Amino acid sequence: MRTQFIRWCLGALLAFTPLTALADEITIVIGSEPTTLDPHAADDGGEKAVNDNIFDTLMVRDNEGNLDLGIASEFPTQVDPTTWEFKIQPGITFTNGEPLNAEAVAFSIERMIDPELNSEQLSYFSTFAGAEAIDELTVHVKTSGPDPILPARMYYFMIVPPEASQSDDFAAAPIGSGPFKFVSWDRGNQIVLEANPEYRGEAPDVTQVTYRFIEEPGTRLSTLVAGEVDLVTNLLPEFMGQVPQAASMRSLEHPMVLLNADGGITADARVRQALNLAVDKEALASALFEGQAQVEQGQLLGPTYFGYNEGVTAYPYDPERAMELLEEAGAAGGDITLVSTSGRWLKDRELTEVIGGFWSAVGLNVDVQIYEFDEYLQRLFRSEDGQRSDAIFVVSGNELLDADRSFSAYLAPSGFGASNSVEELEELITTARTEIDLDARQALYEQVVEYAHEEALLTFLLNINNIWGMSERLSWEPRVDGKMFVSTMTVE
Amino acid sequence: MSWFVVNRLWQGAIVVVSVVIVVFVLTRLIGDPVRVMLPLEATPEQRAVFEQQLGLDRPILEQFVTYVRDVAVLDFGESLWQRRPVLEIIVERAPATILLTFSAIALAVALAIPLGVVAALRPEGLVDRVVVIVSLLGLSIPQFWLGLLLIVLFSLTLGWLPTSGSGGVEHLVLPALTLALPAMTRLVMVVRSTMIDELNAQYVKVLRAKGLRPWRVVGVHALRNSAVPILTIAGWELIRTLSGYTVVVETVFAWPGLGLTAIQAIERQDLILLQAIVFVTALSVVVLNLLLDVLFKAIDPRIEMSAK
Repeated sequence: MRTQFIRWCLGALLAFTPLTALADEITIVIGSEPTTLDPHAADDGGEKAVNDNIFDTLMVRDNEGNLDLGIASEFPTQVDPTTWEFKIQPGITFTNGEPLNAEAVAFSIERMIDPELNSEQLSYFSTFAGAEAIDELTVHVKTSGPDPILPARMYYFMIVPPEASQSDDFAAAPIGSGPFKFVSWDRGNQIVLEANPEYRGEAPDVTQVTYRFIEEPGTRLSTLVAGEVDLVTNLLPEFMGQVPQAASMRSLEHPMVLLNADGGITADARVRQALNLAVDKEALASALFEGQAQVEQGQLLGPTYFGYNEGVTAYPYDPERAMELLEEAGAAGGDITLVSTSGRWLKDRELTEVIGGFWSAVGLNVDVQIYEFDEYLQRLFRSEDGQRSDAIFVVSGNELLDADRSFSAYLAPSGFGASNSVEELEELITTARTEIDLDARQALYEQVVEYAHEEALLTFLLNINNIWGMSERLSWEPRVDGKMFVSTMTVE
Repeated sequence: MSWFVVNRLWQGAIVVVSVVIVVFVLTRLIGDPVRVMLPLEATPEQRAVFEQQLGLDRPILEQFVTYVRDVAVLDFGESLWQRRPVLEIIVERAPATILLTFSAIALAVALAIPLGVVAALRPEGLVDRVVVIVSLLGLSIPQFWLGLLLIVLFSLTLGWLPTSGSGGVEHLVLPALTLALPAMTRLVMVVRSTMIDELNAQYVKVLRAKGLRPWRVVGVHALRNSAVPILTIAGWELIRTLSGYTVVVETVFAWPGLGLTAIQAIERQDLILLQAIVFVTALSVVVLNLLLDVLFKAIDPRIEMSAK
């Protein structure tokens, strides 16, 4: 009787034990559930993580971030200053049988700019003016002005099937032409994709991928440690030692502090330089991020971005010199307000408080103000009377890997986050935006970088890493753009 | 009985109306949804279009009237985050929360009754002391920490149960246990004290004197007379759990219910979804309260007819 009872108990326990995944199926944990799977509607990380495997793009990037061919058969050429010509590879179809031809590309572009769609991604494609299919495999993309970044934009732009994308179902059950196809979406719980048997390229090693959504970092860690999943995104640096495998890569996130060059004690360039010299970036990287961050080389861009200036390097940590500069500027012991928010970006509050500490250490009277996000935004956006706080902590992200987006937002005086009124910067950045000659464009950005660095318009801080936790059986190399292409993953 | 129900209905209606007003006022007070929702780079034109879509460009009184009229027919509008009707999201997520809450309270009752009865048999005895101390401990542990401890024990160390997510019964065990423990510890105390009272009552002595078997005295007669206070507290625990305790547990276990959805709505600044969840939660609390009152009245007619 007793043996039978024990046997029954063991049986019940075994029934509860999670089934080990099959060799060629993997589970990936992402931090947030996609808003929608319509690849043109939302601008959120969860949606991109899934759709990157379902849809094709005209251009792609290699592991180092260089632009390469996606479904385009050759690099695009310019027909005139506002028209780019793309040629598409022949014979590609969506999984519902619709052909992926010039019509489909033109349709996708027109769909993106349709006000009806009200796309959150529009800021990436604001220069789109329209598109026209010239023949079966040739498409002309029209831009509102000369747009040298257009090929880079196309790396971000997914091609949808003209017929299927008009159905109401499309956002919940997308149809693409990529290596994986949509299977199911159990809201709140998981999304399942399987390998697309008709995919033109090499068949991926993984036949099925399940995405789970877990926001709580501790729970994400435990799913991996318990062996339930194979890949976990946004692992906290302090958890790296606890997972079977960890991989990290420079992310596209650049925390920094906007300094008000127009008023307050920060109006003096010497004060702004002192604020840069006063912060020990190495210490921030090692203490706050366990070494999973790089010192930002004084330009709001990583080395893989177009516009990166090799000649400019970070301000050294030199509190003595900082104090001298503050003395010279007559700002020693002065008051400075540092505004930030909490919980929006990785360790935002901690970073802000430590920076405040470094500034206090060189004798400034720092008032650190941490606001709830809406209150914070009120201070980040230039208020009606144009007054801004002395210093505002913000994290700049830039998926296009091109200087334009970051510089237009935070350095050009018309940008929403700019705290200066240097007309020369506005001119340089605007000219660069429409400069077709790549060398000339690079030269313009180098000037912008030198100016912003010399004048210390920001306190340049770090470039933080993305960290992934992986199971023992998964092999995968992270990419500079942070994309998780399942077709590049292999399992034992 | 019917007056009792009418009175309770009337009181419930006042609560629901108050919630509608408070939710409306609060969501207008806590900042500018347009600024928070749109990407940092949005143009003034995009802001204007968005404001118009949300109806925020209209006079406040008109907004309130529209809001009340829509809520009356359970039309909560479209979620800003998921871009689909809020009602659809609530209908989709509510079952998970209901399943979790009811399982937790059923578990709590099932554990609390035997423990409380055993403790009551010998007040101040060893078993009683252990039960009381453990109950106090259970009450003092923060729920998220308890959840993480259970994950460490049952998922990471023993490997018996999944850490998170939903699916089979195995996914339900840990979150339900986490929710059940604090409710159980409070219930144990109630079972214990009512049973002590009952066991000291005259009729128990009579029954014992008549030679009735001890388990029948305790398990049938005394327990039946303790049923109403125990069920009342269990009902309160159910309401308490439903009205907010699930938020933490659903987050820790990535359990796709309304609590987790509320947290996500806050993170994504989806005020439309959030105010609907608050409203639906308040409504369910009122309805449950009413049902429990009527139920207890039916079980024990001695309960006052007047609505206190």
